[in-house]
Amino acid sequence: MNPAEQLNLYLALGALLFVCGVVCMATKRNAIGVLIGVELVLNGANVNFVAFSRYNPAFEIEGMIFALFVIVMAAGEAAVALAIVLNFYNNHTTVDVDSAEELKG
Amino acid sequence: MPENELQPGLLFVVATLLPIASFTILLLWGAIRWALRPYASDNATVKTIFEGLGGAVPGQAPAYVATAAIGLAFLCSFAGFCIFLAEVGEMHELKHKLDHAKLHPGHHDDHDHDKNEKAKHNEQKVDKAKDAKGEEKKKVDAAKQAPRNLQGEYNALKNRWEGAWDWARVFPKSTHDSARGSILQIGFRIDMLAAVMFVMVTFIATLIHLFSIGYMSDELQKEVEDHEVHTAHGHYHRRGRFGRFFMFLSLFCFSMLNLILADNLFQIFVSWELVGICSFLLIGFYFERTSASNAANKAFITNRIGDAGFIIGLLIFWTYFGTFNFQEIFARVRAPEADSHGAIKLGKESAGHKIVRGNLVKKYPDGSASIKVENGVGDVAFIFPRETPGHFDAPRLGREKYAYHDPAPTQYGYIPYWLLIVGGLGIFLGCVGKSAQFPLQVWLPDAMEGPTPVSALIHAATMVAAGVYLVGRCYPLFTVEVLLTIAYVGAITLFVAASIAVVMTDIKKVLAYSTVSQLGYMMLALGVGGWTAGLLHLLTHAFFKALLFLGSGSVIYGCHHQQDMLKMGGLYPKMKITALTMLMGVLAIAGTPFFSGWYSKDEILAGAFGFFMVNKHHFLLFLLPLVTAGITTFYMFRMWFMTFTGKPRDEHVYDHAHESPWPMTVPLILLAILSVGVAWGWPPHEPSHSWLGHQLHHYSQPKTVEFGDLVDDHGHGIPVDVDFVAENRSALENHAIVGFLALGVVGIGLAFALVLYYYGVLDPEDAKEQFPGVHRFLMNKWCFDEFYSAALVRPALQIAHWCRNVDTYAIDGFLNLVGHWTVLTSAWSGRFDRGIIDGSVNLLADVSYAIGSWLRNVQTGYLRSYILFLALAAMGVWILLYAWASALGAP
Repeated sequence: MNPAEQLNLYLALGALLFVCGVVCMATKRNAIGVLIGVELVLNGANVNFVAFSRYNPAFEIEGMIFALFVIVMAAGEAAVALAIVLNFYNNHTTVDVDSAEELKG
Repeated sequence: MPENELQPGLLFVVATLLPIASFTILLLWGAIRWALRPYASDNATVKTIFEGLGGAVPGQAPAYVATAAIGLAFLCSFAGFCIFLAEVGEMHELKHKLDHAKLHPGHHDDHDHDKNEKAKHNEQKVDKAKDAKGEEKKKVDAAKQAPRNLQGEYNALKNRWEGAWDWARVFPKSTHDSARGSILQIGFRIDMLAAVMFVMVTFIATLIHLFSIGYMSDELQKEVEDHEVHTAHGHYHRRGRFGRFFMFLSLFCFSMLNLILADNLFQIFVSWELVGICSFLLIGFYFERTSASNAANKAFITNRIGDAGFIIGLLIFWTYFGTFNFQEIFARVRAPEADSHGAIKLGKESAGHKIVRGNLVKKYPDGSASIKVENGVGDVAFIFPRETPGHFDAPRLGREKYAYHDPAPTQYGYIPYWLLIVGGLGIFLGCVGKSAQFPLQVWLPDAMEGPTPVSALIHAATMVAAGVYLVGRCYPLFTVEVLLTIAYVGAITLFVAASIAVVMTDIKKVLAYSTVSQLGYMMLALGVGGWTAGLLHLLTHAFFKALLFLGSGSVIYGCHHQQDMLKMGGLYPKMKITALTMLMGVLAIAGTPFFSGWYSKDEILAGAFGFFMVNKHHFLLFLLPLVTAGITTFYMFRMWFMTFTGKPRDEHVYDHAHESPWPMTVPLILLAILSVGVAWGWPPHEPSHSWLGHQLHHYSQPKTVEFGDLVDDHGHGIPVDVDFVAENRSALENHAIVGFLALGVVGIGLAFALVLYYYGVLDPEDAKEQFPGVHRFLMNKWCFDEFYSAALVRPALQIAHWCRNVDTYAIDGFLNLVGHWTVLTSAWSGRFDRGIIDGSVNLLADVSYAIGSWLRNVQTGYLRSYILFLALAAMGVWILLYAWASALGAP
């Protein structure tokens, strides 16, 4: 198996993770479930970055660094999102995202 | 005169200012009470002040203030009069010497002007001229020495009795005389006439104030019921107006005194209007009565006609003479007696104090002209220098004289002679209105609607006499033609008014017509050159007519405001003081020997007779006053007999009649004494030796009267010979004849009155039935009101009606049409605005709104749908990119 075929496998895995994440975000009514979906999307992207870093010498460093950035950002995002969820719960006594419809146009 | 010495003339100024002070106090007092009245019931402090000022009920205090003011004014005037009497002799003597010195040549200076400084100024000029002459100087100085001292003394004395203050600068365009000509002044100048008038006016006014305290006592009530005003709820009720009455009286007294005090025409005009407005206010004192408010309007409007003439006169004289000051105008219009060469002569006659006329020979572009001097004829009259230059030459007969278009004070000018006549007639028209002369006499009888003391003070003794006074004041301004007009107007008035008085039954109307008639006598006297006689009659008439009016007031008060003599009769036992004092007045007005009226009326008739002897075709000017003397006696005795003798005609009035209280009878007695004796002199049987008449004649009569005027002797112009010298001589020679004639006529009048109204031998009713046409004609007052109504009022109303129609149909119609068009146009414009402009803007907004509404459907608010949209959009973008890339042929 040549490197291009190996890269395509990784990219397929990343796409699968990404789609799983999006479907999870779009279908879950529980806010925690949505957050899990977000994590899946981010990690799908990470798999791509790492795969490009491994198989394309031009992205050797940049892929690693981007992956690390995404992990850090995901951590921050998780903290902020959980805080929002917590506050949302305090106000609505639920974590059902469908009840957050005050911004409806 | 030392600067700090007080002028005694200021006594008269103080006398003038006292009533205005009283007026101001009463006005403020009334205004404060009026302002406080609405709040007096709410606020305790306001109530205290309100009560302190007299409260709701009118008090007598205003009467005390006004009476005290006018009483003090009388004392001031009397004191001033006494001082003036003491000085006038010396003043006259000095003036005489000065004139004499001027008439005889030998020195060059002419001090024919008023101001001390100006005299000095001129002397300096003359002195400079003389320095050049060198040797002559000493000689001239020696001759000059005496008159210079005389002049100084004379000026010092004269300055004690006159003064003037600048009031306003107005700078008329056409005068070079910027020093004085453009300044309006307030000033006073006391001569014998003014001094005597002051004493007369203040004295009578004081008595009338006193009388009014009694007469107006009805007004002291909190609520007065006016029996002559009917409303839906019975008689009209109003607050008493005691204070207001005295306030108006005070204003009137100020105006009248200011009129006498004035040394210039403009100040007189201002006072003239002020007395007019006081007359208006007081005639309309009971203004709720239609008759009173109509009478007030009538008086005021009729006077406006006269005042229009007055203003025309003022404008003419102001334009040509550039000054309103009497002395300055007279100096302009009348020739001085002497020029630098001695007495001025025109041919053989002296030109002094005369109007000098001539014909234009050449007119220059700047308006100045050469004028050929004529004797008593010519289109233009000379305007003389007001201040004589160092050396000046008078016009010489037949020579040419250069006259400026707009003369400086030291220059000659000229005025078209007809303008001099128009100006004189204009001033006289003012006097005609104020003194109720034909043809403006209609207002005075109606003016009797005012309270009786007002009739006595304003419409008998003082204000209506102001017209006569002004004619007397402006005497040198009047040309021959104007004087003849004055004489005829007077003659017509005195006869017309007397004939109406014969049939009147309202006691006040009889007196009103008698006043008009007597004023006619005064005008006649002035017109025929009897200056002294006319003004003496003014003074004597003031006393006896005030007495008669106050007497009638006392009768009216005693009979509970009954004025109709047909309801009176036999009142003598009930009101003896009133009856006897009124009898004195009746005797005086009838011209009974040794009563004051005799002295003045005899003089008037003598003057008229003198005029008639010189101008035989003017016989009416003697005949009318002579006949009217008899008529006067008749109607005055008729009035007295109808009121006080015979049987009572109305028991109700008779039963309630009573004598009036002392504030009313005391003035009657004082006035009766003066009505008898005010004109006495020594010896008393000579009417021409009246002391008062002598004072006026000697010290105040204008020189014009003595010398007459230059009149053409070739029969040009109007046929009158104003040879006052010949007239006066004739009057003097025929005095006895005239006196007896007058007495005879008076006797006939008295006899008629006795026969008809005392003994009742003939019944007046029979006479009435015998001549119903005449009676009706006289009762209708010669149909003057009807004539004016038909000739003036109704045409004016008709024209007004037409004007209104033009307004309503033509002008309003056109305006309405234009308006209609405008409305139509705006309707179309509105439709365009709303349809097209608003429509397009609205459409834009609607479209935006619709798009917005549709787009908000996307904003579901559900997180999941947003993510779905995101995912779908990302997918869409990817598919598009892919399609695009493959279209470009990328791998």
